[in-house]
Order: sequence, then structure tokens, then C-alpha cells
Amino acid sequence: MSRPPTVPTDIERTVLAEAEEPVVAVAPVAAPVTVGEWVRRNLFSSWSNGLLTIVTSAALGYLAFRLLRFVFVSADWSVLKANLRVYMTGRFPVEELWRVWAAVYLVTALAGISRGMLVRTRWTWARVLSVTVPVVLLIGALLYLVESALVWLLLGVASAVLVAGVVIGRRLGRARRAPLLVAWVLAFPAVIVILRAFGGVKPELWGGFLLNIIVAVVAIFASFPLGLLLALGRRSRLPAVSAFCVAFIEVIRGVPLVAWLFFGQFVLPLLLPPGLALPNIVRAMIMFTVFSAAYVAEIVRGGLQGVPEGQYEAARALGLHPTRMMALVILPQALRSTIPAMISHFISLFKDTSLLAALGLFSELLRNARRASAAIEFIGLQAEALLPAALIFWVVAFSMSRWSHRVERRVGVGER
Amino acid sequence: VATAAHTRPPFWRDVRVLRVAGQAVFVLLIVVVARETFLNLQFGVRRQGIDLSFDFLQQRAGFEIKEGIDYSPSQSFFKAFRVGVVNTIAVASVGILLATVLGLLIGVARLSTNWLIRRIAQTYVEVIRNVPVLVQIIFWYVAVVLALPVIGGGLSVWGVAFLSNRGAAIPWVRAGPGVGAFGLVVLAGLVAAAGAWRWRARVNERTGEPPRRFVYAAGVFLAIVVPGFVATGSPLSIDVPRVERFGYEGGFQASPEYTALLLGLVIYTAAFIAEIIRGSIQAVTKGQKEAAEALGLTPGQQLRLVVLPQALRIAIPPLNSQYLNLTKNSSLAVAIGYPEIISVSGTIINQAGRATQMLLLVMATYLLLSLLISAVMNGLNRLVASRGALR
Repeated sequence: MSRPPTVPTDIERTVLAEAEEPVVAVAPVAAPVTVGEWVRRNLFSSWSNGLLTIVTSAALGYLAFRLLRFVFVSADWSVLKANLRVYMTGRFPVEELWRVWAAVYLVTALAGISRGMLVRTRWTWARVLSVTVPVVLLIGALLYLVESALVWLLLGVASAVLVAGVVIGRRLGRARRAPLLVAWVLAFPAVIVILRAFGGVKPELWGGFLLNIIVAVVAIFASFPLGLLLALGRRSRLPAVSAFCVAFIEVIRGVPLVAWLFFGQFVLPLLLPPGLALPNIVRAMIMFTVFSAAYVAEIVRGGLQGVPEGQYEAARALGLHPTRMMALVILPQALRSTIPAMISHFISLFKDTSLLAALGLFSELLRNARRASAAIEFIGLQAEALLPAALIFWVVAFSMSRWSHRVERRVGVGER
Repeated sequence: VATAAHTRPPFWRDVRVLRVAGQAVFVLLIVVVARETFLNLQFGVRRQGIDLSFDFLQQRAGFEIKEGIDYSPSQSFFKAFRVGVVNTIAVASVGILLATVLGLLIGVARLSTNWLIRRIAQTYVEVIRNVPVLVQIIFWYVAVVLALPVIGGGLSVWGVAFLSNRGAAIPWVRAGPGVGAFGLVVLAGLVAAAGAWRWRARVNERTGEPPRRFVYAAGVFLAIVVPGFVATGSPLSIDVPRVERFGYEGGFQASPEYTALLLGLVIYTAAFIAEIIRGSIQAVTKGQKEAAEALGLTPGQQLRLVVLPQALRIAIPPLNSQYLNLTKNSSLAVAIGYPEIISVSGTIINQAGRATQMLLLVMATYLLLSLLISAVMNGLNRLVASRGALR
């Protein structure tokens, strides 16, 4: 038995408390048999409830009508159509876009293989619907937005790669999970090489949603080891080390990220050796990493606190060196329990990459979307320009949070 | 037989020695890195032709700030920074209040017995918290507030409250002479009302008759304050805003930037607060609700008297974090030009070039604000926790 890990409460989306299970198993209430019965129970259980249902449905119906009319009738999506490439890749040179496509194919193939290898879906009607509806909507939107035959071809190849990946993944089977993990870890440096190496594109020209993703992934990868060290340092029995780590973590978390990004632009160049001139975007990545590390440290600390004292004692009784005790006994348990909080944190970090827009220096998705409606021919189309950006952020963050729920259930936090 | 001296490990394996040595090495490393960094900083700053002193804060600022407390461009940089601090507090305090109210409503709606209400609240939470708050703030500003009709044709609520692309204006109280005396009267009224409240609670305990604490307390309060209001010469009046050609006159006016920032922060933070409220309500043991039911309380009373007081106690620490997040997120105003701390500091950095000092000042201010909010919430926590010890 172990205590559930304590997790810093300002990590967004942390599950605060699990609903309590009934102590005595209660006889189950019979499931509503008919539609009428269900409606009566859930919508019209009392007079006031019925009234509430009717009023809300009316308001909802009106809202849905206005929304649908906006999307299909009154909105002018030409601003999105003209700027789709800018949304996705910003100032990335057109003749080098094949690099982006290559990176997309690499990630798609890996995603397909992982899915085929790890996920066995039992296809229920609800699940079929939850896949087909977004796909149909996406294809519909693309039919309107994409006119170039080349892009259609490239998208077609991408879906073919995905399907092929799933098939290959099935063949390989779950046993090959370790090489897959290695492939994922190597995928990121590979993407950077594809974009940058052999006469590629300088980081200053990376832009759009591509930039958001790259900054988020860099910060996630780099902040993890740093945060781990900070967490161990904070729990160190050497007062000098732990005091330093506590001060570092608390100062970083107490000041807003925008201030740190300003710090990265104005002060960091002064602190670094004079000969070392880093591009703006690299300095922003450094600040994202440091900021994220403070949060990772707090999450890991929560996980470490959740490991029962007996585990330490047992490891010491076996005569393990403190380093090996940490690496072999404590950390594997501590880290496993932090997976959901960690994913939550990485989702917020991904959302926070939009803060690059606040500095006005980087051509990331939000800034490009805001700029799109500044062009003379698109004036007055602010909502049409911003909503797609919001939708893109939402789709990624929402699917990640869904995935995290699944992982949470599988990992079984709190029960070992 | 080995003596104690012989079993002692050599010094390079002695934990006590290692501990001191390890810290010494660590401190040395930090000092070396810090010194190197500081030398770099000095060199870089000198190359830019500026210094590291804070004297520049006394210089003339020379730039306009659109809103906030009394300030003119002829005043110092420090005064300008102060305007930013007050503006941050202005948006954070109102934001915290409104986000709590909205979050509470949605959190309770998340657990409604009505399927439709439950679903709406869930959709709200899932949509709002997965879109970056900066996207939302910019959306409210660019696509909603600035896209409102111009001031003459703006929205008007019964001719007393207005909304247009110049922001919002609502009626507000205006203080006249004698407001100080009236303040004392209100204080006296509050003390008397508290006394009445206690007295009714005791009567209820002794005799079992319904307490009606609120009715009695409100009655006592009004009985003191209403005559007091007249006696001090009616020092407060309602100031209804009017529409002028280029803006509003009178009342409480919110600029478009303030309105958009507040909307964005409140709507975003409310989604997280709703989840905290829901979690806390679910964390109250089921037996509490069943006991309340067994006592014959109505569902509303169960929530108000039994479940929520306990849930709020659980909710206070995570709520504190959300309040801190809201305060920190108010810095995103820099993207829409509301002059809060970061925005004003950015302008000062552009004008005076002392980025290092300014950012130190910004960090100190935010740390202070965080400490302040945490202190208030800790006080609240103690207050709530001391009443009735259930957990």
C-alpha cells in the first residue's frame, strides 16, 4: 500500500479527488429501459427541472442556429484559405517545404506503427462515430480550403503512410515496444536534422504551428532531466543544495512566463559569454525549458513523496548505493505515478507556446492568425482569422487530454 | 578486537566529510557560475553604454498611459511602474471575484441531476480549458469588443449601462462630502448586525426556535444605516454614465482592453475553478449527504448547509493556485495593450534600456503579489478549517 502521490495543485487539470466508492455495494438501480423513461429521469424529474430543460434547450437551439449560420453562411473563410500555409509554417521558404512534409511522414509513420502495435480497438458504434465524424468534417473543410492537386496528393500519401504504419505495427506485435520507444526518442533529433541540415532552413525562419510544436517538444524533452535534477536537489539532505533548488523553483514559478520570455530576449544575451550570440528563438526555447523544469520538479517531488519509506529502507537493506537506489528502486515507482500530471503539464506547456505571440518577435500560429486579418482585403474578418487557430490548439490539447485519461486508467495511479 | 578508531572509515568514505565537501563543491560551482555571469552582465551593460543602478527610475517617463490612477508623462518611471502595478491589481482582484462566482456556478452545474445542464457545463469546461488563454484574450479583444458598434450605436441596457467598441460603462456610486462619517456608521451597523447574528444563534441553541439570523442581522443593519445615511447628508449618490461623442462620461468605465482581458481571464479561470469545485463536492463523503437527507433537508439546503461548507474547505488550497495563475496570466495583457506591470515595464525598457533592473523589479513585484494572495488564502483556510472539525 502506498499513499497517493501529492501533486502540486497549480498544475492545471490535476484530478483533485477521486469520487468515493460506496462502502457497501448497493443494489444497482435498474437501467432505464425506454427512451421515454430515460428522458423523464434525466430531463424532467421535477417541475423546476422540466422548466429548466425547456428554457435551456430553447437557448441552446438558438445558439446552435446562430453558430451554424455563422460557419456555413455569414462567415467569410477566404482569410483562412489564403493564409493556410502561413498558419502552418509561417515564413518557411516554399521551395523547402518538402522538408516539413518529410518530417510529417516520419511522425505519421511512427504514430501509425505505435497505434497498430499498442492499441486494440473494439469497434462499437459510438467509437466508429467518434472517428468518422471528425474525419468527415476534416475532409469537408479541406475540400473547401485546399485547391492544389499537389497538396491533395501529399495528404493522400500521408494517410497511406498512416494506414501502412498501422498494418506494420500489427505485424510487429507488442513485443517490439522498446525499439519503438527508441525510435520516438530519436524522431525529434531526426526532424530537426531534416529541417535544418544539408542547406536547410534556419530556425529564425521556422514559423506557424510548426514552430509551436517544435518549441513545445524541445521544452518537454529538455526540461525533463533538468526538472528531475531539481526535484532530487530539493529533497537533498545537503542544506546548501536544497536551499538553492527551492529558491530556483519558487522564483521561476512565482513570476509569469511572459516576464521570463522578456528576460530571455533582453537580459539573457547579457548574461551569456559575449561571443555566444544565440538566435531569438533559441533563447525563447531556453526560457520555456527552464520554466517548465520548475514545474516538472514539483511534479516529480510529488511522485517521490508518494514512494513509501519502506522502499528506501528495503533498498538500503539490500546494500544498494544511493545512486542505484534512486535509479533502480525509487525513481521508477515515483515517475510512474506522475505520468498523468506530467501529461497535463505538457499540455499546458503546449498551450503556452502561444505566448510567443505576446513578444511579437516570432511568427507562430497565434500571431500569424492575428496578422492575417490585418491585410486590407481581409479587414473585418478577425473572428474568421482567429477561430481556426483556436480550433487547432483545441484539437491537439483536447486529444492529448483524452489520451492522458486513458493512460491514467491503464497506469492505475495510486495502486501498485 | 578493533577499537572504534579503527572501524572508522577513511575520510573519503566518511559520510559526514562527504556531506560538507559536497556542499562546498556545489557552493563553489554556483559562485563561479554566478561570478562569470555577473562579469558578462557588467561587460554587456557597459558596452550598451548604461549602468546597473536603479537611479533611472527617478527620471522623467515621458510616455502616456491610457488608463489607471492619476499619472502624467512628466512624472518619473517609478510612478509609471506604479500605475502598472495598480492596473494589475485592478484586473486581478475583480477577475478573481468573478471567476470564483462563475466557476462555482459551473462546478455545481457539472453535478446537476439534469442531463442537459450537466452536459453544457462539461462542454464549457472541455472547450475553454483546452484553448490557450492568450488566444481567448485576443479573440475577445479583436473579434468581440473592438468589433462592437461605435459608441453612438452601441448596446444600451435601459439607458443606464452601455457597451460599445469604446468599452463598457455601468452606474457607480459617487462619494460626496460626509462619506467618512457615513463609513463609521456602516461600521457600527456591521458590528451591531454581527451581534444580532450571534444573539439569534444562541436563542436558537437554547430554545430551538428558528434562528432567522439573516433577517434579524439585516434588519438591525438597515435600522442603523438608513437613518445614518440621511443624518450624514446623503453622501453617496448613484452616478449613471452618459454617452458623449467620444466616450462615456461618469459612472464606472471599463476600457476595451480591460473588458477583453477580464472576459478572457474570468472565462478561462472559471473552467478550472469549476473542476476544483466539482472535485471538492465529490470528495465530501457520501455519508454527509445521506445524513443531511435523513434529517429531511431539501436538496438546496443539503448543498448549502452541509456539502458546500465542507467542499469549500477542501477547495481552498487549489483555489489559491488558480488565483495565482489568474494574477500571473493578467500579464498577457501585454498582447492587447492594457497597461499592467509587464506592458508598462516593456515601454520603460524601450525608453530607458535598463532591462535587467526592470525585470528584477517585475519579478520582485510578482513574488510579492503571490505572497500577498497566498497569505490571504492561508488566513481564509485557517478561518474555515477552525469551524467545526470534521476532517
